[in-house]
Amino acid sequence: MRNPLIKRIPKELKSDWHKYIVIIIFMVMMIGVISGMYVGHDSMLDSIYKGRDELNLEDGSFEVKNKATDAFITDMSTGKMADVREYYIQKGINEAKEQGIDLPYDVVAEQVDKEWNKVVERYDLDNKDFAPAEIKIYENFYHDESEDFDKDGIEDATVRVFSSDSKIDMASFNEGRAPEKEDEIAIDRMHADNVGVKVGDTIKVGGEEFKVVGLLSYVNYLTLHKSNTDLMFDAFGFDVAMVTPEAFEGLKTRVHYSYAYKYVDTPADKAEKKTYAENLLKALITQTLVYDNEIDDYTPEYLRQGSNFAPSDIEKDSAGSAILCYILIAVIAFIFAITISNTIDKEASVIGTLRASGYSKKELVVHYMTMPVIVTIIGAIIGNALGYTVFKDIAVGLYYNSYSMPNCRVVFSEDAVVKTTVIPLILMFVINLIVIVKKLQLSPLKFLRHDLAKKKHSKARRLPNWSFIRRFRLRILFQNMPNYVVLAFGVIFIELMLCFAFGLPDSLYHYEKKAPDMMFSDYQYVLMNTKDDEGKLIKTAEKTAEKFSSKELLYPKEKTELFAGMGSGGDEGVTVYGIIPDSRYISFDKKLNEGEVYVSVSFKAKFGLKEGEKITLHEEYENKSYEFTIAGTIDYEGGIAVFMKNEDFNKIFDKKEDEFSGYFSDNEITDIEEKYIAAIITSEEVTKVTNQLEHSMGGAMNVFKYALIVMTAALIYLLAKIIIERNEQAISMAKILGFRNGEIGGLYILPTAIVVVICSLIGFGVGYYIMVWIFKLFMLSMDGYFAFYMSVPSMGLSILYLLIGYAFVSVIDFIRIKHIPMDVALKNVD
Amino acid sequence: MREDFLVIRDLKKSFGTGEARQEVLRGMNFSVKKGEFCVLLGPSGSGKSTLLNIIGGIDTPDSGFVSINGDKLKDMDEKQLTIYRRKHLGYVFQMYNLIPNLNVKENIEVGAYLSDNPLNVEEVLTTLGLQEHKYKYPNQLSGGQQQRVSIGRAVVKNPDILMCDEPTGALDYKTSKEILSLIEECNKKYGNTVIMVTHNEAIKNMSDHIIKLRDGVVRKDELNENKITAAELDW
Repeated sequence: MRNPLIKRIPKELKSDWHKYIVIIIFMVMMIGVISGMYVGHDSMLDSIYKGRDELNLEDGSFEVKNKATDAFITDMSTGKMADVREYYIQKGINEAKEQGIDLPYDVVAEQVDKEWNKVVERYDLDNKDFAPAEIKIYENFYHDESEDFDKDGIEDATVRVFSSDSKIDMASFNEGRAPEKEDEIAIDRMHADNVGVKVGDTIKVGGEEFKVVGLLSYVNYLTLHKSNTDLMFDAFGFDVAMVTPEAFEGLKTRVHYSYAYKYVDTPADKAEKKTYAENLLKALITQTLVYDNEIDDYTPEYLRQGSNFAPSDIEKDSAGSAILCYILIAVIAFIFAITISNTIDKEASVIGTLRASGYSKKELVVHYMTMPVIVTIIGAIIGNALGYTVFKDIAVGLYYNSYSMPNCRVVFSEDAVVKTTVIPLILMFVINLIVIVKKLQLSPLKFLRHDLAKKKHSKARRLPNWSFIRRFRLRILFQNMPNYVVLAFGVIFIELMLCFAFGLPDSLYHYEKKAPDMMFSDYQYVLMNTKDDEGKLIKTAEKTAEKFSSKELLYPKEKTELFAGMGSGGDEGVTVYGIIPDSRYISFDKKLNEGEVYVSVSFKAKFGLKEGEKITLHEEYENKSYEFTIAGTIDYEGGIAVFMKNEDFNKIFDKKEDEFSGYFSDNEITDIEEKYIAAIITSEEVTKVTNQLEHSMGGAMNVFKYALIVMTAALIYLLAKIIIERNEQAISMAKILGFRNGEIGGLYILPTAIVVVICSLIGFGVGYYIMVWIFKLFMLSMDGYFAFYMSVPSMGLSILYLLIGYAFVSVIDFIRIKHIPMDVALKNVD
Repeated sequence: MREDFLVIRDLKKSFGTGEARQEVLRGMNFSVKKGEFCVLLGPSGSGKSTLLNIIGGIDTPDSGFVSINGDKLKDMDEKQLTIYRRKHLGYVFQMYNLIPNLNVKENIEVGAYLSDNPLNVEEVLTTLGLQEHKYKYPNQLSGGQQQRVSIGRAVVKNPDILMCDEPTGALDYKTSKEILSLIEECNKKYGNTVIMVTHNEAIKNMSDHIIKLRDGVVRKDELNENKITAAELDW
């Protein structure tokens, strides 16, 4: 025979449906959102990684000025260096021959060797570790054309056009199809989305009209980085497109002879990729030279922003919301536990009778545990179902808002199952089990006697000589203390989320506003090399320009369990600057000894560094590390940076005296050729990241704020319901005695109101500091740093929102009090 | 001659400490035979309910022992006591303690579930006159009807001992007599030993065995030679 107590469960669900609906909706929302996030995240990454194989992503590419000859391609494919010395000797002999002079080989060789040694040194051509990296080369030519999508005759963007017959770095279609006719074009989905172009529209490319027949995502342009040195992508001003080979031939601008390659032997890891790429570069430099060509670009795939920026950004996705979910589930579990605890109080006689009749403690624990477990399972099932459908689409939509992603195929996410089903179930189970087991610990006799308090108050609490009503109210407050404790936790939790909802946009906005002040110079020019093609130092006439040296090193990060699995898990990138004496941009307020450095405030704040502390930075690929002592702080929040004297910099990193990395400048530098500039960093570049974040998350945050009002109301509703239910008999009795509904409301609602107001103030403080802490931990898992910030109006609003939520509940509470019948007090009195 | 089924020996129990210490049972001795209808009679504070709780294994004596069918309760741990209650006892309280969101039939099933050889629930419903109310919830029943359900829940287990703690304490005269008749009927029909605690002197007349308690000791332990039916009772 099945335990007949099971029959109570559906009846209880039915009779208290509004309570369970609120809890289930709560859980469904939280579990759904988190599950959606993980599923979206995992599916998106899976699609990206699968796309790399299916769409034949390159291992790298190079661009040369003139179309490569077959011989060049053949020699380049071997990955071997060309014999440049021999090339120059033969060239010398031939040139002399043209002028009618017959020079002996040795003489020319001697002449060549004079210059040759310099070249060898510069390009490290005699490196003994050189091993040829054999490659397969594919043509991947393109045109950079003007795009005029509104056909007003003004160029709106640059569009990089590829031919549809390319066999490498192919595209997937989000909508429509590949072009089949000469006047058809398929353009990047993200760009189309941003500028409002749809399939069927006509746009002008290179002055010619094309009909857009497809929206695509190129596997090597998941983010629209025009140049690999751009810090941020530009999906408005840059586009990639595909046309038929015929249409490609018809384009008027110069063809960019870009060749993509794949290694014959796939490198095992990033370090090997680097070695391969370095060796291949040597082959490219020498082969280009002997074939009288010029290199315009060389980018190994592992350094390509277009294919790596998006997946590494997605990998960094926040587990913060999962933690919020667990806190919420814990709060719900406590609400459940308190509800059940009250039910046990109410059903003490029944429990006593059942125990006296022979029901075991275990059977009753199982009985009272059934409901929370069932509700969690229902929440988890519906939540996951929504997670895999609706919420996944929202999460994927967020990624689509930022990147040019391929179509997303849903994959089963183990992470989602663990984090949205297993953990909530365990949380709910454990919390309820502890409370219920503790509660049912009492003997049957105690239940029969309603003697449920563990400790008996030896004395009644004496109250000041206040009015009767005030004392009554205070008694109610004392009586419901355990409920108010849970309420306080709930309120702190909600305040924490409100701090998140208000604080995140505030922090971004604050960072953005402060960005110009964060730059120690308005412009930072990072050069490709210290010397130009002719071997002369690159100089500028700009008066405010000041040389600096810089180098990227890594600072070891402690792996934090809290955010395990997030981010690259790698160490923090640190920019080390060498600063010239009496710099106008960076000043050290004390004399620095060798090995002493200043650190940026962000670096100090992020890792809690102190002056006098030693830090060890290491190279990413080489087994070298450097130890520095922190001598002071530079008020620079723009990045994780270390500053030292240029003299020390050159010494420590083995640089020549005249070597440098670029210029700081307050004005734009116009007299350095663009080809020598690797990157220009302005405040705009710094805030592009926050702009992008704002663009992707701004809308979601507003929705989140309103959702929080509803959640506040729901949470307080559940807790206030417990308080009223617990006092049903007393309220009923008060009615019999002649108290009016208003008076009873004042007695039972006002204490809750006072508690809510006090808790919301305290909760805000606690929530704010927890958020600061979480944010710091979160930042630790990311590269870079910006502190959590909340404006005063936001602080006020985060409290106000909670109180608005409570105001709704008070009305419901009052209605609930009004509906308590008088006969409750007359029934079941032992 | 039937053997003693329930044996109480030198049972002592006190509550509180120091000056507030109150001896409720002060060395109680008696025994009950299987199938007997035994009434424990006494005024308030005589130790009736405490004694019943100790017999039921939900309270423990300070000294002395209770043995049922030769098994001493004091030798049992909590698990064994639970099994003992499950297998051998049925409880009827003054307050009915029914589960509010289970209907009449289901409340009786709560008892049947515990037993290895329960009685037929439908038959019990018929015996207790609850057939027409079996789908009603406790709050739709009168006090007497609720007590019938409570008896049904206890009897359906087919327990060796039916423990009744003031089962008519909250009922009017007519309903009380009905309830007593039902307990009598169950005793006859199913052969359970009935131990009923009451302060109503009149009820002793329907029992086989009368034990009068006062101040924690047995004042009188006698067999009732002139047993009458519950219907004949008057008070």
